[in-house]
Amino acid sequence: MNDHETYETLAAVYAVGALEGDDLARFEAHLAEGCDRCEVIVRESREAMARMALTATPAVPPPEVKAALHARIDAATRPFRASRRGWLTWAAATAVVAALAVMVASGVVASRYEAKLGQVAREVAAERERLKRQEAALRALELLRDPATRVVELRGTSGAEVMARVIWNDKAGGQLIVANLPPAPAGKAYELWALGGAQPRPAGLFQVDADGRAAQTVDAGGEPPKGFAVTLEPATGVPAPTGPIVMASR
Amino acid sequence: MTTAGEDLIRRMTAGDRDAFSRFYDRYSPLVFPLILKIVRDRADAADVLQDVFWEAWQGAGSYDSNRGTPEAWMITRARTRAIDRIRAVRRRGETFVPPVDEGLAPAPPEPGGDAAERAEDRGVIRTALETLPQAQREVIELAYYAGLTQTEIAERLQQPLGTVKTRIRLGLERLREVVRRAT
Repeated sequence: MNDHETYETLAAVYAVGALEGDDLARFEAHLAEGCDRCEVIVRESREAMARMALTATPAVPPPEVKAALHARIDAATRPFRASRRGWLTWAAATAVVAALAVMVASGVVASRYEAKLGQVAREVAAERERLKRQEAALRALELLRDPATRVVELRGTSGAEVMARVIWNDKAGGQLIVANLPPAPAGKAYELWALGGAQPRPAGLFQVDADGRAAQTVDAGGEPPKGFAVTLEPATGVPAPTGPIVMASR
Repeated sequence: MTTAGEDLIRRMTAGDRDAFSRFYDRYSPLVFPLILKIVRDRADAADVLQDVFWEAWQGAGSYDSNRGTPEAWMITRARTRAIDRIRAVRRRGETFVPPVDEGLAPAPPEPGGDAAERAEDRGVIRTALETLPQAQREVIELAYYAGLTQTEIAERLQQPLGTVKTRIRLGLERLREVVRRAT
């Protein structure tokens, strides 16, 4: 077996998501050097597996899913609801919450102009990102109503101004809010880890927008975490951290 | 040429909810069986499906037709999210790795349009997977549908790691070849 055949084997294993550890690092370094042949193998293998999956008999999913999606889009498009106003005032008592409320208020102005913005696709995409963040802010506010919720701060390990907060509730889960994080390189994503159990628990993959911001829901589960960390990983995610730590709680 | 699916994705990028609704109607019956096959629980599968389409709505702008069809885009997304779900459950120790006991169930071709087109190459491609040597098919299924890593597959089958990797390569070479010929 010549040298490149080894990479072609790794490419196939990579394409079905089974590559890990040193092999994964080695293959990704090879891809990063710009190997067209391996890229084609990965792409064609994934496409072939997708075609294979599409040979299954189509099945109509439960109707609630579509209804839930429409509700979710509605919620994101109209982030400010009268019923939330009462506890918004209440919540404004703390500094963290006040900052979030500013984001929500700016959403009121933003949504008023949404019809106009809708004419320009690019602007609407940016708007949707912002609405997504507002949805995250509302969820964070909801979490903060519970006295058991805590706010965990994550700092960049490189000393840069990267920072993130996880608003965490052991029962309800959490909300990750990120600022000043550079976009992940192609084929990579950031992965959040809940620390404190025997091993770090994967708590979700995320990407940042052009301004380096992200907002993401974190599911509850596992041991109550003692802290969180973010690493740079392959875009499909990994079950245990392999990449460099980008930021961590103290 | 732009396919109807690509057109819907482009309209979704512009925030067109009607396009999203049609996109959902078109692709959810295609990706739902895969999610169900992986997570094996209807309620979990419905959750994953919702996340997959929510991400598609929010990430429509990232779709690149040079890198694959809308079907492949959605299938890849669905597979990734479904595997995330079973890996998370497995790590919490709530379940063991289920055996991959079902092959790909035969699908009766259904009449009309897209579906008929798919049914045409479905026959060829399904046969391709079935004609793979069992040893190659098994490792590919354990990776793709059960989300096992190469080491986990080697442990489970009690085979050397190198053998597992080679089987995956050989199996995929054959599948790629069949897809190329069917296209």
